[in-house]
Amino acid sequence: MRRCPACAVDVEGTWTRCPLCATALTGEAVESPLPDVPLRFSRRRVLRTLFLASIAVILVSFLSQLLFNRGLAGIGVLRSVWLGVSAMWLVVLMAIRKRRNVAKGTVYLVVLIGLVCVYWDYLSGWHGWSLTYAVPVVCGSSIIALLITVRVMRIEVGEHILYSGLTMLLGLAPIGFLAFGWVNDPRPSAVCGVLSLLALALLQVASGPEARHELAKRLHL
Amino acid sequence: MTRRAWVRLDNASNIFLAARSDADPKVFRLSADLLEHDVDPELLQEALDTTYDRYPLYHAVLRRGVFWYYLQDSDLHPVVTAEHEPTCAPIYQADRRSLLFRVLYHRRRIVLEVFHALSDGTGALWFLSDLISAYVRLRYPEDGPPDEGADPVGAAPGREERGGMRIRPGAERAPEDTAGQPHGLTTDSFAHYFRRRRATAPGPAFTREATPAPLTVEEAALPSSGGAAAPGRTPRPAGTKADHVKKVHRVRGSRAPDNRTRAVELTMPVKDVLALARAEGAALTMYLTALFFESVRLSSGGLDDSRTLSASVPVNLRQFFPSTSARNFFATVRVEHTYGEGPDDLGSICRQLEGQFRPKATPESLERKLRTFIRFERMPALRIVPRPLKDVILGLVNRASNRGLSVAVSNLGRAGLPEPAGSHVRRVLFQVSAARPQFCAISHGDLLTVSFTSPFTETDHIREFARLLTSRGVDVTVAAARVTEAELTGTAPTEDELAEDEFAEGELTEGESAEAGR
Repeated sequence: MRRCPACAVDVEGTWTRCPLCATALTGEAVESPLPDVPLRFSRRRVLRTLFLASIAVILVSFLSQLLFNRGLAGIGVLRSVWLGVSAMWLVVLMAIRKRRNVAKGTVYLVVLIGLVCVYWDYLSGWHGWSLTYAVPVVCGSSIIALLITVRVMRIEVGEHILYSGLTMLLGLAPIGFLAFGWVNDPRPSAVCGVLSLLALALLQVASGPEARHELAKRLHL
Repeated sequence: MTRRAWVRLDNASNIFLAARSDADPKVFRLSADLLEHDVDPELLQEALDTTYDRYPLYHAVLRRGVFWYYLQDSDLHPVVTAEHEPTCAPIYQADRRSLLFRVLYHRRRIVLEVFHALSDGTGALWFLSDLISAYVRLRYPEDGPPDEGADPVGAAPGREERGGMRIRPGAERAPEDTAGQPHGLTTDSFAHYFRRRRATAPGPAFTREATPAPLTVEEAALPSSGGAAAPGRTPRPAGTKADHVKKVHRVRGSRAPDNRTRAVELTMPVKDVLALARAEGAALTMYLTALFFESVRLSSGGLDDSRTLSASVPVNLRQFFPSTSARNFFATVRVEHTYGEGPDDLGSICRQLEGQFRPKATPESLERKLRTFIRFERMPALRIVPRPLKDVILGLVNRASNRGLSVAVSNLGRAGLPEPAGSHVRRVLFQVSAARPQFCAISHGDLLTVSFTSPFTETDHIREFARLLTSRGVDVTVAAARVTEAELTGTAPTEDELAEDEFAEGELTEGESAEAGR
């Protein structure tokens, strides 16, 4: 074993200088009980910075729309492109961020896409297309998508049940749109509402106790 | 249909989640060096499989509820890997369902790394002990009959009380799976001992209330009773003003490029150090702590006006309150010494620390303290605070308590590996990721290992510590992992260059992590 004359200690491993005082060591090297682990660049901080910066840019993009006139007469096509890029960026960002739990990610996307569409509709002069078509279609299709995905990916009931339930509850919102008469065409909302009710009934029958158990666990005080 | 056993995170563990940082991922490591051969990965995997089956707690993954974190049973299987990450690399990542421990090997060394929210040093030592026993049985079948039924670890107090298994109501699957086995997803022992008990039988209702706490940190924030507490004097949970005027010295330094923990292991004959401690009339932990204070003082280049050094010392509560739970069950005690106010020789410091530590580490004193924390933690107003906000609050409390600490020490005592495993192990080591310079001691056979960890790359305090020991005639062996770029590329600088580097790098950092201690 090598030895540091200054510290009067034996040094394990292949150090040529004392790890404590940097004095040159004497004697034969022995193998180190600890491996040399190369330095690694951690992407965590970079990714976090990128994420926060992206969110900030997207928020600013959305908010700055308020500065322009409502209605297509304003900046027209340019606005659509701008909003489209921002919305796409947001969707991709959230989908990547929540990739580890598909059900949770779906809830996030449904909420975000719904809000973006309504805002977009408002900015472009409120023709009601968001509530009539976009929101019901997104809700309805995500319910179908979730029903398929959790089976194909064999996601455990406890893992997705709350998020599936939440997506289905969101799907009930279009029934409210119908009731308040906010829609131009009742068909998409009706289909989405019926679908949600059916899915919720299915959930209740198939795994009602599971859902309540999961809820009790998450909300435990 | 699977309904998994789950249990809310215990009292001490919440703080580890709130106090995680890049430099201190709240991971600790226990390792054992085998005497004769390099580790056989296949046998180790086999040994891990058997051990893992007996520790339902280690099956747990950490999940987030609205108000608390909770541990939940999983179907994951641990795989042994060659060591390829720095000491105490992060284990828990939010949103990822992964086990909260890992088993590694490197040459003759078997390594167990555990996320601190899962278990504490004593709990993990049981696991390591069983793992090594299982490995030795496979590696040296001629040593003795494979005694599967027997519990190879004698270290656990009251192990026979396995009926103490408590699973949450609603966790139907759990009883047949885990009951009858030790180290399950039991209620935490904090709740068991320090909650005010109801007159009714402590059935499932009791379990439901098994409440962990945002409060463990508070104890770290506890100022010591100041100066040498007279034996028998009860430490007050609230600090007096005199405690706060003392400026506590805080060690600073530069971080490794990837924030990895600097780990240096000192190995020495246990009897020599014990003799030194006895000669000073102190227990080993306080003797080593006094040496640590001296080393920090010597390496600081003058303490200036912050002349108080303080250390947090975890106390294993199982010794006073028998528990078979492998989950966190410890409290920390703070000791301090102010230089320039009376005798500053090593012996005096030892005795002074001993005088502070003893009365605080009595069952009565600890119980009083913990009961207060748990009562506070059970306050309805605090319980309804959402978890992310709790994390923030705990993080702030922790930051505040960190200001009162210079270093941390932890002594697991004798590893107590059962035979025949014990005779195949040369030494056992114990390390934790650290928010401030820290050492962890553990002994096995004739060898005591004192492993230093630090978020800073500087090794000056370790150098002084080693020199203090060698100048007293103790044979010390040093093993260190390479952490800086210069060390890893083999261009270790000379001492002069090192001195220059200190000015050049200068990324001074406040330790931002938890006390709660180990």
